[in-house]
Amino acid sequence: MCAAICPSGVHERKTGHNRVSKPRSYLCIGKECENNPLYCIDHCPRKALSIVQNQNYTSIGDSRWTREFILGTWKQAETGLPLQGLKYEIGSSGGGFDGLLFKFQKEGRTEAIEESAINTELELNKRDGRKISIKVPFYGGGMSFGSVGLKVMLARAKAAKAWGTFTCTGEGGYPDALKPYDDNMITQVATGLFGVSEDSIQRVKIVEFKYAQGAKPGLGGHLLGDKVTSEVARMREAVAGSSLFSPFPFHSVYSVEDHKKHVDWIREINPDALISVKVSTPSDIDMVAVGSYYAGAHIIHLDGSYGGTGAAPDIAKKNIAMPIEYAIPKVHEFLKEEGIRDKITVIASGGIRTAYDAAKAIALGSDGVVIGTSDLVALGCVRCGCCESNRGCPRGIATTDPELSEVISVEWGAQRLINLYAAWRSTLISILKQLGMQSITELVGRYDCLMNSEHTKGKDD
Amino acid sequence: MPKKYSIAGSAAPPRFQPVGKFVIERNEDECIHCGRCTLVCLHDVHKRRGDDPRFISEPVNYLCKGCFRCIQECPKEALTIKNNEEWLLLGDSYWTPETFGKIWYQAETGSIPVSGTGYTGPFSGEGFDSMWTDMSEIVRPTRDGIHGREYISTSVYIGRKAQMLTFDNKGKIKSPLPPTLSIPIPLIFDIIPFRFSKNVYESLVKAASFLGTFMIIDLDEWFNSKYQANLVPFFANLSKKMNQKLMFPEFEGVIKKCKMVEIAYDLEVLKVVEEIKRLKNEMIVSVRIPFGDSTNKIVEELAFAGVEVLHLCADVNGKVISSSDKNRFVKDGILDAHRLLVEHKIRDEVTLMLSGGIAMAEHVAKAIICGADVTAVDLPLLIALECRYCKRCQNGLSCPVELKALNSDYGAQRIINLMRAWRNQLLEVLGAMGLRDVRRLRGEVGRAILHEDIRHETFEKILRSEGVTNNIKSSN
Ligand code: SF4
Ligand code: SF4
Ligand code: SF4
Repeated sequence: MCAAICPSGVHERKTGHNRVSKPRSYLCIGKECENNPLYCIDHCPRKALSIVQNQNYTSIGDSRWTREFILGTWKQAETGLPLQGLKYEIGSSGGGFDGLLFKFQKEGRTEAIEESAINTELELNKRDGRKISIKVPFYGGGMSFGSVGLKVMLARAKAAKAWGTFTCTGEGGYPDALKPYDDNMITQVATGLFGVSEDSIQRVKIVEFKYAQGAKPGLGGHLLGDKVTSEVARMREAVAGSSLFSPFPFHSVYSVEDHKKHVDWIREINPDALISVKVSTPSDIDMVAVGSYYAGAHIIHLDGSYGGTGAAPDIAKKNIAMPIEYAIPKVHEFLKEEGIRDKITVIASGGIRTAYDAAKAIALGSDGVVIGTSDLVALGCVRCGCCESNRGCPRGIATTDPELSEVISVEWGAQRLINLYAAWRSTLISILKQLGMQSITELVGRYDCLMNSEHTKGKDD
Repeated sequence: MPKKYSIAGSAAPPRFQPVGKFVIERNEDECIHCGRCTLVCLHDVHKRRGDDPRFISEPVNYLCKGCFRCIQECPKEALTIKNNEEWLLLGDSYWTPETFGKIWYQAETGSIPVSGTGYTGPFSGEGFDSMWTDMSEIVRPTRDGIHGREYISTSVYIGRKAQMLTFDNKGKIKSPLPPTLSIPIPLIFDIIPFRFSKNVYESLVKAASFLGTFMIIDLDEWFNSKYQANLVPFFANLSKKMNQKLMFPEFEGVIKKCKMVEIAYDLEVLKVVEEIKRLKNEMIVSVRIPFGDSTNKIVEELAFAGVEVLHLCADVNGKVISSSDKNRFVKDGILDAHRLLVEHKIRDEVTLMLSGGIAMAEHVAKAIICGADVTAVDLPLLIALECRYCKRCQNGLSCPVELKALNSDYGAQRIINLMRAWRNQLLEVLGAMGLRDVRRLRGEVGRAILHEDIRHETFEKILRSEGVTNNIKSSN
């Protein structure tokens, strides 16, 4: 009986078997099903089924990525549908995005707007020259070959192509397998200059300078020896088995003028490319942003300290440089004061977990966001945090180990990401609709759409 | 340039299975001992039994990272995972289970904790968690000390600094130099909160001596050992004893043997300092002052009277002792004391030492940013020895990790490992800020991002603009 009715396929009778297989509990949607006419518990003729919350699930998640966020991301990756409910809007970290809610209008204009007329497109080039727009106001952050496997890179590239957006190679070379996706790739030039060549720069539309990354500000990139397999080493023109440090800083950049030289060098090689400058969030982040603009950058990419996908020292993630939530309005305001806010695109990353976070970041003053960890979670990451060793990732994501990579396939991964992006886009559209806006660009810097959700105002919590 | 200092670590695996975050349970009725779990687990939690490989042994829970792989792959669904109750009960709200886990990891390996997929904790917190440290990029240079390409010094001086040097006509330094001690890390070992058997003290002092730093120790525990050069005896009630002419005969002997002493603050403390200096002029005297409402007054008085080291101590959770404001945190206290001395232009004549609530490497850096020259650690040293802070020993009960039976060389290695990891993390913070000397970090509040300030500057400004004071209850 149960096998016939469960809409989620928990119960199954294998062809040729008399007895029903063990319930595939992980497919069960739980108590929410109660009101469904197909609720198995009510239907079992002998009352043989019961439902309890699986105690395994109590150990997933933490205060930043709550259980709901992880399971919710999995669900979106599976179904492509947006989720609703406060538990998907704010986590339990007690501050930042988790302390902000949207102030939706109760009545009025919102009905008038057709969802299909709402525009989530974002133009990345606010200067002269070739225009490049993305269909959704987010793109994939840098994850290098070596820190993640080729399958993950391909899945991300496919999803980016499907949604008309970008994903980034990170600092580890540009595998040839990505050739068909050149138009959706960003390549990174970082302090170690691993795998950077004229060819890789000419292949892409956007080149990203990585000055620092939020999770390890001031520390540079770091690929532990364990992950430097011979394949990775070849790509990076390095020696297998030795840890690869991408030293910090660019030892040739000690001023905005030096930085400009770098930008000019890239423009020499690929005059059409947009230049993105990825920086983390020191106390003078506003000066850094202005400096980058005058050096010729099209995009200033602020990477806050709480995010990041690769291995980073815990001390850095928690303590060095400010969270992105504070960096965005600081930069937004300063660029406005300097009169150049409409000449540079501000992109935020480092702790954008959900579409709600993305919308909040935009309302705080960025144009769009970059995502990393959410991509990985969609691919099955449980955030066990063992990404630093090549044989540490149980999901075959943060590894180039052939045996572990077996776990995922490119097609499956791409579809999960495509679904996730679809769910995010729907969520953004519904937020815009409820705010009475027609385009994502209207939301930029609209602090008035946000309100404090903290229990006690004026106290740290 | 000073000789390059670095601390060598060596693995010191735990004697007892540490408390882990997760518990894996295997349902013996379901398990068919197929061994799938031993293959899929990347962290060696599941192993076949050594004596009888047909069976799988009990899971080694503390190694589990909670990745769920074995749970999903077991063909019989025989495995379950849950949060470890014992883990959740470790320590208290300040000394969190995560702190224990990290200290144990560092003491075992000597490496700094590294992990992937971002930060997992709360947005901010109180005390040291209400600030972030700064970093440099593009508009100013950083330093690359972590990978050893540039040497970053972590050594500090204890004692008074000469305000200026005068030279005689032959170019020799004429002015007498005040006594100072130099330690290679801005950390000394404080009096540990519980009383212990000799081997525990021996572990500590061996580590202190290896590192080249000092250990403050209650006079009762003062023992004759070859490590005396690294001990700083602590005297309580000294002025009372002096008034009653009860000076114990060993007093002079102890004074002669050591380079630095610490005495408890009381109203007649200056008399005692004078007496000690009379016995031995080059002695460095530290006065231990409990943080409280009158700290600033005391600091002012003693600094002007020429006491060279002021040791401000908070309680074990970093809260001020005897204050009208129970929630005042030691970082604010030290900031006030530091600013006061700067105002009086006598900041460099005193060494400010801070203790209480130093639980992680970042606390050392942050205490220094707030104005401390040196920090003193206590509880983490014990935790490094596997202590679970259960306080059973204080009630005459047995210690779950049998510290009485600890081998002191092994114990010292665990502490050295912890300090190595802490120093390396300090180097990361310094490098990111572009500093090459920890002494330049002291009082650099301008390079700290204080939560109150940044929030005021951003969120409060923008959210207030609409007069938003809604107190929406969030779901957490
Ligand atoms: S995978 Fe499951 S059935 Fe197989 S040995 Fe492990 S616990 Fe037993
Ligand atoms: S959950 Fe992961 S780490 Fe823990 S025992 Fe299972 S496979 Fe090993
Ligand atoms: S009894 Fe508890 S508190 Fe005392 S030393 Fe042992 S573990 Fe630490």
